[in-house]
Amino acid sequence: MDFLSLLDISFFLLVAFGALVGIIFGAIPGMTATMAVAVCLPLTYALGLNHGLALLLGLYVGGISGGMVPAVLLNIPGTPSSITTTFDGYPMAQKGEGERALRVCVIASVIGGLVSAAILFLFAPLLADFSIKFSYVEKFLIILLALSVIASLSSNMLIGIFSGVLGIWLSLIGDYSTTDGGNGKTRLMFDFMEPYLFEGFSLLPVLIGIFGISTILLEAEKGVRSELSSSRMVIGKAAGVLSLFKGRLTNLVRSSFIGTFVGMLPGVGGSAASVLAYTQEKNLARDSSQMGKGAPQGLIASESANNALTGGALIPLLSLGIPGDSTTAVLIGAFTLQGIQVGPLFIPENADTWYVMIVALVFANFVMFFLMFFAIKHIAKVVMVPKHILYPIIVMMCVVGAYAINYGIMFDVWTLLIFGVFGWLIQKIGLEVAPLIIGFILGSQAEVYFVKSLESAGTLSTFFTKSPIAVVLWLLILASVVFSVVMSLKSRAKGRQEVLS
Amino acid sequence: MESDLSNLLSVSVDFETSHLFFPTIINWVMAGLFLVILVTKLIPFLAAVKRGERTLPILGESMDTRRFFGTLVLIVAYFYLMVVVGDLFPYTGYGFLFVSMAFVLLMSLLYLHEWTKKALAIVAVNAVVAPSLAWFVLAKLFTITLP
Repeated sequence: MDFLSLLDISFFLLVAFGALVGIIFGAIPGMTATMAVAVCLPLTYALGLNHGLALLLGLYVGGISGGMVPAVLLNIPGTPSSITTTFDGYPMAQKGEGERALRVCVIASVIGGLVSAAILFLFAPLLADFSIKFSYVEKFLIILLALSVIASLSSNMLIGIFSGVLGIWLSLIGDYSTTDGGNGKTRLMFDFMEPYLFEGFSLLPVLIGIFGISTILLEAEKGVRSELSSSRMVIGKAAGVLSLFKGRLTNLVRSSFIGTFVGMLPGVGGSAASVLAYTQEKNLARDSSQMGKGAPQGLIASESANNALTGGALIPLLSLGIPGDSTTAVLIGAFTLQGIQVGPLFIPENADTWYVMIVALVFANFVMFFLMFFAIKHIAKVVMVPKHILYPIIVMMCVVGAYAINYGIMFDVWTLLIFGVFGWLIQKIGLEVAPLIIGFILGSQAEVYFVKSLESAGTLSTFFTKSPIAVVLWLLILASVVFSVVMSLKSRAKGRQEVLS
Repeated sequence: MESDLSNLLSVSVDFETSHLFFPTIINWVMAGLFLVILVTKLIPFLAAVKRGERTLPILGESMDTRRFFGTLVLIVAYFYLMVVVGDLFPYTGYGFLFVSMAFVLLMSLLYLHEWTKKALAIVAVNAVVAPSLAWFVLAKLFTITLP
C-alpha cells in the first residue's frame, strides 16, 4: 500500500483539472481527447510520472466524455466516438429534453468507464504475466497481429495495411541503434539530414503535429467557420433521468463490455466501439423501433461503450506496450518522457504507478460524472468558444510541447510542421491515421525483434515453429485477415443488392 | 525435400549491412502494396475523375486559400522568428513570449470573419494574456526551456 503515500491533494486536483479541460476539449467540435492529451503534455514535463499521469488520464476520460455535449445539443459529434450519440440525443434535445439526454449520457458514461477500469485492473496484470515469457519471435508476431487487426478493421483493409507499413517506414528513418544491438548506421535519408535525423523523428512532435497542427490545417482549409449560434442550442429539461435506466441494465453492461473489448484492439478508436454497441442494441433489444428518433437506450449504448474504451485501450498499452488507440499512443510518449518503457515488465516493476493509474482513472470518472451531471448547463456553453481564439493558442501549446521534449531542439518544432502538413495530406488522400501512428510507434521495435530472431535462429521457420504461442498468434493473424475479407465481401454483396433493388 | 525447404527458409544477416535488412523488406512490401492500390483503387478512381463522376482530392476541392496558406505562412514565420528573437534574449523565453503574442494576434485576425470592435478587443486581449500566461506558467513556474 506504499502507493497511498503518492496520492496527495495535488494528485486529485490534477485529475480533476484534467477531466475539466478534457471535457472542454471534447465538447468543442473538431477537438478530440487525443488533441487534449497532446497539447497538455508540456504541463507534465515538470510534474513527475505519477502526477503527470493523473493529469493525462483526467484529460483522457474528460475528452472522451465531452463529445456528448455538442452531439446532443447541436447534432455535431464533439469527438468521433460520440457519433452514435447524435442519433438519439439530438432528437431528444429537439423535443426539449436536452439536459435529460445529457444526464442519461453522463450516467452511461460513468458506468462504462468504471466497468472498463475494473476489467483493466483484473486483466492487464494477467496478460502482462503471460506475455513476460515472450521471446523476440512472439513479440514480433504480437506486433504483426496488432497491425493486422488495425488493418482488418480499417474502412478499407488495403489502405489500412499500407498506412501501417508507411508508419513503420517512417519509424525506420535514422540509425539502427547500437543500444538495440544494431550497427549504428543510418538509413532512409540523405547525408545532409544526419545532424537532424540521426535518431529519427521524435515520437511526440510527430504525434502533436499529426493530431494538433493537421487538425488546424483541415479547419483552415474550410475557412474556420463557426456556424454555431446560441439560439440553436436548447438545453431543455432534466426530470426523471433514473427511470429511463429501468430494464436497460443488459444494454448498459453489454455496451460497456463491447467498448472495453474494442478498446483493447489496437488502433481502433471510439467510433467503432460506439457504433458496434449501438447496432448490437438495435439488433438485440426487444423494442428498438424508437432508436434514431430519440430513444434513451441508444444514448446508453453509445456513451457507455465510448467511455469503456478508456480502460480497454490501456490494457494492451500496459501489458504489451501496444497502444489501444491514438490517445494511448500519445500516453506512450508521456511514459517515454519520464524514462519508463511500457510493456510486460511495466506492472511488476512499477506496481505503485500501476495502482496510481487505476486510482486516477476511477477518480477521473467520478469527477467527470459530478462535473457533467451538475454543471452541464454551464459546460455546454464552451461549445460556443470561437475557434479564432482557440486555434492560435493550440499552435502555441504544440510548439512548447515539441520544443521542450528534448530540452530545446528547434528541429523538433519543425517536425511539428512537417507532420502537420503530412497528416493533413494523408487525410486528404484517404490514408488512415490510426494504423500509421501505431505503425510508427511499433516499427522500430518490430525491426529489432525481427532481425534479432533471424540472427539467432538463422531461418524464417523460427517464426512458425518457435513455440505453441507463435502458432496461436499466426492463427489469430489469419483469423483477422479472413474476418476482413468476409466483411468486405458481405458489404460488397449488400451494395450490389441495394443497387439491384 | 525437407532440406530444400530449410535451405529456402534459411537467412543470414550480415552485421555490417544489418541496418538495411528490415528497411529493404519494408520498401518492397510498401512498393507491392502501392502497386495493388494503384491497380485496384487509383486507376479506377482516376478514370472516374476523367468521366467527371469524382473529384480529385485537394486540387478538385474548393478551399479557403487565404486562410489555409495564411496559416502555413504564419506558422513558418512563427517558428523561424522565435529563434531569431530568442537569440537576442538568451535563456529568458522572451523569443517565445514576444513572437507568440504577434502570432496569436495575426492568426486570430486571419480566422476572424466579422471584424467588430468587441471581437477585435477580445482578440487583442487574448493575444497578450494567453502567451503571457503560458510563458509564466511554463517558463517561470515549471522552468521549462523555451526559445
